[in-house]
Amino acid sequence: MLRPRPMKHVRLLVLTEDLPQASLALAETESFHPDTRPPLESELSGLPGRDYRDTYHQARSRLDKIAKLIPGAQHPELSEVRVIELAELTGLNDWLGQIWEKTSRYEEDLRRLDDQDRFVREQEAALSNFQHLNIDLGMLRSKTRFLDFYVGIVPRENLRQLEGAVGLAGHLLHVYMQRGENAHVVIVGPTGTKEAQLSAVLNAAGFQPIPIPLELDQKPEEIRGDLDAQRKDIRAQREALHQRLSDWSAGFLDRLVEARRTLMLAEPLVSLDPSLRSAGHLARLAGWVPAREVERLTARLRESLAMPFEIQSRDPLAEERKLVPTVPVKNRLLQPFALLVNQYGIPEYGEVDPTPLFAVTFLLMFGSMFGDVGQGAVIAALAWYFRAKLNRFWLFGLLAGLASMFFGFLYGSLFGYEDVLPALWMSPIHDPILMLKIALGYGVVFLVLACLLAIFNRAVIGNWWGAVFGHHGLVNLVFYLSLVWGGLNLGIQGAFGTAPAILVVATLAALAWYNWRHLDAPVGEKVLVVFIETLETVIGYVSNTLSFLRVAAFSLNHVALSIAVFTLANMMGSFGHVVTVILGNVFVLVLEGGIVMIQVMRLQYYEGFSRYFSGEGHAFAPLRLRHGSAPS
Amino acid sequence: MSSAEKAYLNTRVAMMATQLLDPDAIGRLSQMQLPELAERFHLSSLLDDQLSAQSRSRAIEQTLIQVLLSELQILVRPMNAPERAIVLAWGRKYALFNLKTLIRGKLHDLDQKEIRDNLFDLPPNISLPDQDLFRAENVLELLRLLEAGPHSLIARQAREIYEQRREPFALEAAIDQRYYAGLVRQVMQFHDDNLQPLQHLIGTELDRIDLLWLLRFRFSYQLSPSETFFQLVPSLRLLHRERLLGLVNIETFQRVLESLPPPLDALLADSHTVIDVQRHMGRYVAHEARRILRHSPSGVARALAYLMLREMDLFLLYALVQGRLLNLSSEVVDIALEITEPTCPWAGAAGGTKAA
Repeated sequence: MLRPRPMKHVRLLVLTEDLPQASLALAETESFHPDTRPPLESELSGLPGRDYRDTYHQARSRLDKIAKLIPGAQHPELSEVRVIELAELTGLNDWLGQIWEKTSRYEEDLRRLDDQDRFVREQEAALSNFQHLNIDLGMLRSKTRFLDFYVGIVPRENLRQLEGAVGLAGHLLHVYMQRGENAHVVIVGPTGTKEAQLSAVLNAAGFQPIPIPLELDQKPEEIRGDLDAQRKDIRAQREALHQRLSDWSAGFLDRLVEARRTLMLAEPLVSLDPSLRSAGHLARLAGWVPAREVERLTARLRESLAMPFEIQSRDPLAEERKLVPTVPVKNRLLQPFALLVNQYGIPEYGEVDPTPLFAVTFLLMFGSMFGDVGQGAVIAALAWYFRAKLNRFWLFGLLAGLASMFFGFLYGSLFGYEDVLPALWMSPIHDPILMLKIALGYGVVFLVLACLLAIFNRAVIGNWWGAVFGHHGLVNLVFYLSLVWGGLNLGIQGAFGTAPAILVVATLAALAWYNWRHLDAPVGEKVLVVFIETLETVIGYVSNTLSFLRVAAFSLNHVALSIAVFTLANMMGSFGHVVTVILGNVFVLVLEGGIVMIQVMRLQYYEGFSRYFSGEGHAFAPLRLRHGSAPS
Repeated sequence: MSSAEKAYLNTRVAMMATQLLDPDAIGRLSQMQLPELAERFHLSSLLDDQLSAQSRSRAIEQTLIQVLLSELQILVRPMNAPERAIVLAWGRKYALFNLKTLIRGKLHDLDQKEIRDNLFDLPPNISLPDQDLFRAENVLELLRLLEAGPHSLIARQAREIYEQRREPFALEAAIDQRYYAGLVRQVMQFHDDNLQPLQHLIGTELDRIDLLWLLRFRFSYQLSPSETFFQLVPSLRLLHRERLLGLVNIETFQRVLESLPPPLDALLADSHTVIDVQRHMGRYVAHEARRILRHSPSGVARALAYLMLREMDLFLLYALVQGRLLNLSSEVVDIALEITEPTCPWAGAAGGTKAA
């Protein structure tokens, strides 16, 4: 489970006519991850899938645009898997082009109606504003002998600049209302020669004039009725337009669904495009396949392809290690933990997958830091209740809750009450020193395990120097264990001990020697860097071990918080007591639960992953028949 | 930005600034032929004989822009959100080039491939979501997409241009105006030590832009004072709103230059064409940017000043490459590189406007 699934590099030579069929067969097996490196053979310079890809993308874009106005099945079932040749795809693309052209006209008509509707709303707002003005609005309706009036709306963003510009043309701008992104303005100035330039500025500023009806002063209700009628008319036009669109599209809805299926079947070849090269009628594609799937893949190709083909597979080369994809964890219980591991990075091929170790240590630490049967049960119940929304993550919540309950039984804690459940072990507060010692011991085990994994990860790829002398390598591990040994001696016997002291000095000297050899700098700088790095090794291991004291600290903190809640509750009456205990538990759950989660993640990422996990790999993403999603 | 990140940024900028070209280096560059230029600046496409001169030129332009934007990406890494925002906003001018190409291409019903060939490849944090615009199959669709997106304000102008069959000048001016107004807004988000140097740097650039636009709009395109003012973006420095209101109302080219505030009045005293003004203002902006790069305590202002200077250098290099590809004489190339002053009679008339 910890080791990555072995992979093979596969090279496939097929005739270009067989490419669509080959891509479909590869997609069906869901075991072929394309390798996009260009081939070494210079003759293989053709791009056989380029026309197919371009046609697909245009057809796909057209169908998606059409689907916005004519909803059809986005994820239809694939009843049969068949080859989509370029000619068929081109035919489909042309047909979709014709449909889109007509649909686009409907869209344009709808846009026009939206524009009209928006403008009527602005008019309504403007007119209700005019009603309260104590001026003769007839004056604003048209220009007089001496004055020009412009009443309308302008985007607020252009307002300040427009104000200056109309000022230069001898006009004044007054904002009488602001609505959303628009400002309603009145522009007034002398009638004269500057009308033309003003009109150009108004155009550039996106000014839209609002007509002022004749009867505004006398019959505002009639005007409101008129505007209502306009809006009803627009609504009716829109409904009629939708109806026409629906009637028109009814005749080819099935064909649109079929078009979606066709594109789904064409998608594998499009996804393969970056890894496809050809010379004449010979096409070459390469990819990564799980070793145990190679045989099945070959058999599937043999069944599907009419023409001859050649498939070659080999183990990944050492220099290709970073290119090999890692097959993700399939275990259902581990999947939510894998999501958190992937936040840090994806295991490189050959590297130990830390997910199982992460899951176990996460639950151990979370449970021990937040041990409470009641609160754990609440976390588990909430995860269960919201499982649809949390998707795969609900299992994470459930397991965290169960871990908390498990430690709650050990501590005898139920919603903070220490005297309801008999403790299977003891409450942390009864022996804090023991708790701190256990946390420290756990930290030592965790760090030793992390170092062992770092050594293993380097050894497995033949990086022996790194495994022995590198960060958290063998010499580091011996140093750390000697330090722990000496520390224990100091605690028990009062003296560090000769043997551990010699080991500590020897390992530090070895590390310093290694660093010195690998530094390319003047002597003075070398001395400084080696001294600082050696010091950093000592400080780092000591502080990292002490960092695990927080596991005990939070278990104590949990009890202490509960005591605080009960002290407050005991100061209340019986109703106040219940309310305080409930609110206190909510507080502990939300605040302390969140902090504990962050602390555990910090220990995992910083003390664990940074030692042994590069996270520089990339996930296995095989070619597959997708439902309703486009390849990038 | 923490002090460690500030130190990192300053070191980065200082290291990158060693690449900037001084006048001697420009002089040496002007002597180089294509193979030497290709080797020195890693421009392999220069030597690809299978490509036409136009394709080579295009490939070089793309490479140089990528050089600039990759340095921008490195510099924004240690920055905090507002600092990163202003540097990315500055770099987004290249995304606006793409937007203009798309709009122009669709308005003139150009082939998709032709439009695609003229678009720059940009990093995701610089590029605009223009894929949908690119996929638009006709002008009306493009206009609808513009109206629904972040460019809704210019969509109305675009529609008018399409319906009245006008040249897209006003539209492109509106895009530029919005770009610079956005930069000003980004600067004004700062309330710390970065504000003053950024105001100085962006203000200087806006002074240059405003003056050139003002002269072109008023005296080359014969726009009215109101129209001209509307297209300008008040600067944060010398050419602020009130001053622009005064300048656009002046009726002659020379009087505009005389009415400029110091030091622009002295700087441009012997300028007679827009080309002269452009050259002097370019040098002025470069001088101010260099001053900020050397002396400013603000990391983000120094980074931005470096990028502006680097962009100027890369444009010079591009001009040199263009000259070599088109087999222009060394005199013409030297004028483009500002090594020599244009003395030939057509130099002013070609792109400049004589004093009215």
